[in-house]
Amino acid sequence: MLTPGSAPDRAWRVFGTGLSFAVFGIGGVIMSLTIFPLLRATSFDPETTRRRIQRAMQLSFRLFLWFMAKMTVVTHEVHGAEKLEHAGGRLIVANHPSLIDVVLIIAQMPAVDCIVKQALWRNPFLRWPVRWGGYIPNTTPERLIEDCAATLRAGRSLLVFPEGTRTDPGEPMVFKRGAAQVALAAGSDIVPITIHCSTQALTKDDVWWRVPVRAGHWVLRVEDPIPIAPFQEAPPGLAARRLTQHLHDYFTTRVPPLERRFRREAAV
Amino acid sequence: MPGLELTPASMRTEQEIFDKIKATLVDLFEIDAAKIVPEASLYQDLDIDSIDAIDLILQLKSYTGRKIDPEQFKHVRTVKDLVGAVQQLLAEPPPTT
Repeated sequence: MLTPGSAPDRAWRVFGTGLSFAVFGIGGVIMSLTIFPLLRATSFDPETTRRRIQRAMQLSFRLFLWFMAKMTVVTHEVHGAEKLEHAGGRLIVANHPSLIDVVLIIAQMPAVDCIVKQALWRNPFLRWPVRWGGYIPNTTPERLIEDCAATLRAGRSLLVFPEGTRTDPGEPMVFKRGAAQVALAAGSDIVPITIHCSTQALTKDDVWWRVPVRAGHWVLRVEDPIPIAPFQEAPPGLAARRLTQHLHDYFTTRVPPLERRFRREAAV
Repeated sequence: MPGLELTPASMRTEQEIFDKIKATLVDLFEIDAAKIVPEASLYQDLDIDSIDAIDLILQLKSYTGRKIDPEQFKHVRTVKDLVGAVQQLLAEPPPTT
């Protein structure tokens, strides 16, 4: 066992992080050529295929998290996971500090829809799995909001990061209105998940080979749902603004701000 | 209805249109009225996004009584552009139906 924070430990984690990235990329390609087409082949019902693909996503992300924990690169704990058992028809929103947030959340949910970069619909390996999984491409804002609301109305759950991208370390969180617009359009309650990492790792500022002094430990807290009804009384544009402000305050009061890690460590 | 003569839509002045747009922006989005000046950019200064724009256009549709083709609003960037676009709409003959 290497002493946490020592040079050998850090060197090991640089290796472990690189290997994790490779496993993720290669694993994705292998699954796209094996498990996903197999799951697709076992059913002609798109709904069944979607459920199976999403379940395979959960299990593979769990395996990936187990691998990263073994490599001492990323560890995590989840509080309130049982609140996700009734997430059908609800919008899951989370703050977005790090690169692995989506992995951490999908690993908790046997079925959840996500918004996926439209470019992946042309990716040679992932173009079919993203379709089979029922994931939602980020097309035009109007269409995206309608697609997201439709999946919630159909009783599925959907994960959205209201920030739209990872948090800028050293800056206050900026919430876009899209998540609120989706919840309002579908009349869905919102399940918040706060994500906090013990040290700053895999943030927007980080490059993977500059590992933190101590390995990052991620803590996810699934909170009680935020009812949508009180927000629906206002006209839509106003309601979206109020709900976005509410979510912003909700996360800002519960999640410590990200600082600029390298600047701070340089002073140590 | 005689005796209840309102200003015909086509006669509305730029100032009236501006005031109407300003009131609409305040009502729909609670935008600070002081920020609504002709030069203000709808997207950057007033934080109107494309979804808001749809609501806004719906409101303008009932105000002008004209069918609105979203294409007509494509070039709109500032409040002044919007006033101009509405003025142009009002210059068109009202629908006969």
